[in-house]
Amino acid sequence: MRRGTKRSGVGSASSKSGKDVEAINAFFKEYSEPDDAELIGPEGVEKLCADIDVAPSDVRLLMLAFKMNAAKMGYFTAVEWRNGMGSMNCTSVQKLSKCLATLEMEVQQTVVFREFFKYAFTFCCTEPRQKTLDIETASQMLQIVMPNSPHLEPFLQFIQDQKEYKALTMDQWQGFLRFCEETLPDLSNYDESQAWPLLIDNFVDWKRA
Amino acid sequence: MMPASGFGGAGGANLALKRSSAGPPKKLVIKPFKEKPKLPADFEERTWAKLKEAVTAVHAKQPVACSLEELYRAVEDLCVHKLGSSLYARLQQVCDVHIAARLRSLQGRAADPVIFLSLMDAIWQDHCSQMLTIRSIFLYLDRTYVIQTSGVRSLWDLGLQLFRTHLESGSEISRKVVAGLLSLLEKERQGEAVDRILMKNLLRMFTSLQMYTDYFEKPFLERTTSFYATEGVRYMQQTDVPEYLLHCDTRFQEESERCAHYLDPATRKALISVVERELLERHTQAILEKGFAALMAAHRLPDLKRMHTLFARVGRLDLMKAALSDYIKKTGKDLIMDEEKDADMVNLLLESKLKLDTILVESFSRNETFGNAIKDSFEHFINLRANRPAELIAKFIDAKLRTGNKGTSEEELEMTLDRVLTLFRYIQGKDVFEAFYKKDLAKRLLLGKSASIDAERSMITKLKTECGSQFTNKLEGMFKDIDLSKDFMSSFRTSSTARTELPTGIEMNIHVLTQGYWPTYAPVEVNLPHEINKYQDIFREFYLSKHSGRRLNWQNSLAHCVLKTHFDKGVKELSVSLFQTIVLMLFNTSDRLSFQHIHEATGIEDKELRRTLQSLACGKVRVLTKEPKGREVADTDEFIFHSQLNEKLYRIKVNSIQLKETIEENAATTEKVFQDRQYQIDAAVVRVMKTRKTLSHTLLISELFKQLQFPIRPADLKKRIESLIDREYLERDKANPKVYNYLA
Repeated sequence: MRRGTKRSGVGSASSKSGKDVEAINAFFKEYSEPDDAELIGPEGVEKLCADIDVAPSDVRLLMLAFKMNAAKMGYFTAVEWRNGMGSMNCTSVQKLSKCLATLEMEVQQTVVFREFFKYAFTFCCTEPRQKTLDIETASQMLQIVMPNSPHLEPFLQFIQDQKEYKALTMDQWQGFLRFCEETLPDLSNYDESQAWPLLIDNFVDWKRA
Repeated sequence: MMPASGFGGAGGANLALKRSSAGPPKKLVIKPFKEKPKLPADFEERTWAKLKEAVTAVHAKQPVACSLEELYRAVEDLCVHKLGSSLYARLQQVCDVHIAARLRSLQGRAADPVIFLSLMDAIWQDHCSQMLTIRSIFLYLDRTYVIQTSGVRSLWDLGLQLFRTHLESGSEISRKVVAGLLSLLEKERQGEAVDRILMKNLLRMFTSLQMYTDYFEKPFLERTTSFYATEGVRYMQQTDVPEYLLHCDTRFQEESERCAHYLDPATRKALISVVERELLERHTQAILEKGFAALMAAHRLPDLKRMHTLFARVGRLDLMKAALSDYIKKTGKDLIMDEEKDADMVNLLLESKLKLDTILVESFSRNETFGNAIKDSFEHFINLRANRPAELIAKFIDAKLRTGNKGTSEEELEMTLDRVLTLFRYIQGKDVFEAFYKKDLAKRLLLGKSASIDAERSMITKLKTECGSQFTNKLEGMFKDIDLSKDFMSSFRTSSTARTELPTGIEMNIHVLTQGYWPTYAPVEVNLPHEINKYQDIFREFYLSKHSGRRLNWQNSLAHCVLKTHFDKGVKELSVSLFQTIVLMLFNTSDRLSFQHIHEATGIEDKELRRTLQSLACGKVRVLTKEPKGREVADTDEFIFHSQLNEKLYRIKVNSIQLKETIEENAATTEKVFQDRQYQIDAAVVRVMKTRKTLSHTLLISELFKQLQFPIRPADLKKRIESLIDREYLERDKANPKVYNYLA
C-alpha cells in the first residue's frame, strides 16, 4: 500500500484489500440517503460534519470533495466516495479526522493547491454550462480557500467596488492565484505589460492610486 | 697698371709686362715674394674704426662720411683676411649697445598709450631701416662668414634677436606696448576710430620678433573673451532676440575685418571661435527660450534665417530643431484641443502648415532634419485628439466638393486638396476619416450636390495613391452604382412597362445602391403616398426581371422630391425631402391638420416628424404655419397650409435638413468605427495565432501593433484577447501563463 504525498489530488484508486473496501462501503452506508443507496445528500453531509466536528462551511470539507472529485455541491456519490476514501485509506469516521489533517497538508503543496483552487471554481458553477461565478460567490469562495494571502482583502474590496465585471471567469480566477503566488505585497514586481488579465491590471491600478 | 692704393705703398708684386714684338714666345717666370706680404699691424683697428664710425652715423641718422662702396670694400678686406668673426663680434656689440639705449629711452615715457605706441613704432621703424643699411654695408660678411659658419645668425636676424632680448628684459616696455594695443582695440570695439596702421606695424613687429603668440595673442584672446562675455550677458538682457542676433552678425564681421586689416591671420580662427563661444554658444539656450517662439509666430523670415546661420556656425542646430519641435507641438496642441475652434480647425491647420513650409524654405534653407522635425511634430499633435481631426478633414473636403463653392478655380481646388491630403497623411486613425468621407460622399452623390465629378474622381485617385486601392474600393463602387443607375433608368423609361403602366403626373429617378459599398442606413418605414408606392412597385418588378436573385430595400430617408404646389399667388416648385413631401401631401385633402393626425397618417417616427414639421413651419420659408407659434413642436399643435406664401423664386428649397448632419448621426458613425475596430482586432489576433500556433503575450501585442492601422491601447488589446479566450479561440498555456496557444 502506498501512502504519502501524491501528485494529483483527485481520488485515485489504489489496490485495496477486500476488507478495506467493505469498510469503506459500510462507512458510506452510514450517511447515504434513505431512498438512494448510491448517494449521500445534504443531510448526510451535515451528519458527517457533526460526527467529525467540522463546520459544513469548513474548507476541509471542500478538500474532501476535491479529493473525491465530487461533481455536485452537497452530494457524494458512492463511486466518488469509494475513490476518495480509498485513496486516503480512510475506512471509518474515526480515521476521517486524521485523514483530513493529512489531506490538508497535501493540498497545501503548490501544484496540488492549484488543482484544488481550480476545482473550487468549477464546484461553485452549479448551473449547467455555467462558466462564470458572480462576485458574491467568488468572494466567499476566495475567503474560504486562501484566507491568508496579503492580497486577498484589498482584492475583495476592489471587486466589490468596480463596475466593469459582474462575474469572474475561470481565467481571471486562476490569474488571481498566479498573482498571489508571484507578486510581492507591495506590488513592486508587478508588470502590467505581461499577460495578466485586465481585471488584475485594474486591481493594481486601483491599489496604487 | 698700378695696383689700387688700398694696400699701401711698398712691396707689391710688380708685374711689368715687357712689350715684345713678335718673336719666339718668351717664358715668363713669376717668383713669389721673398717675404709674405703682411697686413699692416693696425689694419684691423683702422678698418674697424672706419666702419664703426659709419655704423654710429647710421644709428645717429647722420650722413655717413665714407662712401658706401668704400665701406663695403673694408668689410670685404676684413673678411678675406679671416677677420670676419671678430668683425661680427664687434658689430654685434655696437648694435647691442645702441638698441639697449634706444629701448631704455622708452622707460618712464608717455603715459598716454597712443603716444607711447607711436614712440615704440618709431624706434622699431628706425631699427628696421638702420639694420637694412648696416646689412648692405656688411653684406659681404653676411654672405660669407655668416653662411660658412654654423650657429651664427644672419645680420638681420641678429638685429632682431638683440632687439627682442632688450625688449623682453625691459619687461615694463613690452607690457606697456601690449597694454596700449589692447586698450586701442577695446576702444575700437566700443566704436571709436583708432590708428590701424600704427597697430598693424606694431603687430608686425611682434610677429617678426616671434613674440606675437606669447606676448600679444594670449592676452589678446583673454581680453577678447572677457570683453565678449560681458557684452554677451549685457546685450542679452537689454535687447530682444532679433537685435541680438543682428549684433552678433555685426561683431563677426568686424572681427573678421580686424584680422584682415591688422591682426595676424593666424589669430583669425582662434578669435572667431572665441567670439562665437562667448556671444553665441553660451546663450543659445537662452536665445531660443526668449525669442524663438515669438519669431515663429510673427513669421520673421530674415531673423529666423539669421538665427539658423548663426546657430549652424556653433553647431547648435540640434537645439534649434528641438525648439522648433516644441513650438509646433505646443501651438498645434492648443489649436487641436480648442473645441470652439473646431469649425475653423482645418483652415487654421492648413495655414499653419503653409507658414511652416515657407519658413523651412526661406529661413532654414530646406534643412532635411528640420523638415523631418516639422513632420514628426505635426504627426504628434494631430493625433493627440482622437477622431475629431479626421472627421473635420473629411467635412472640409466635403464642403469643397459640394456645389455652391463659388470662386475657386480648378487649380486652386486641386492645390487645396493636395494640401489637405498632406494633413491626412499625419493622421493615425484613418478609418474614422473613411467612415465620414463615405457618408458625406453618399449624400453628395444621392442629392446631386457634387460640384464636379472630375474633382470627385481626382480626390479618389489621390486617396488611392495615399492609402492603397483597398481604401478606395468601396468609394469607387459608389460611383459605379450611380453610373449604372443612370443607364438603368433610361432603359426603364423607354421600356414598354414604363410607358404603359406608370402613373401620370409623377416623375421619379431611382438610384440602385449596392449595399456593401454604401454606408448603412437604418430602414425607415413610412406611409407613402399612393402614386409613389405604385411607381416603386412597377420599378421593382422591372428591376427584378432584369436582375433576379437580388433584393431591393427602399431607403426613404435619402429620398428627395420636387413638389408642384399651388399657392394663392401662383404655382411654385418646392424642393423637399420625402418626409416633407408625405406631410405636405396630406394637405391636399385638408387645410388644417393636428399633429396627432399627421403622426398617424404618415407613420413617421416621432422625433423625425417633429424635425420635419419644424423645417416646414418654423424655418425661413414657411409652407405651413403652426398654432401656437414657436420653435418647438408640441403634441397639441395644429398646422395650417400657408397659401398666402410670398416668395420671389419659382423653385424654393425647403430641404436643408438632409444635408446637415445630426448629432446622432455623427455619434453613430464614430461608434460604428469603434465597433469595426474591435472586429478587426479579433480577426487580427486569430489570424496571428493561427499562423504562429503559440506566441508569448508581449510578442503577440507587438505583432498586433504592426498589423493594425489605427491607434490602440494595450489594455484594449488585452480585453479582446480575454474575450477570445472566453470564446475558446485561444487558451493560456498551462505551463507558462504568459504564452497563448491557438485552439483549432
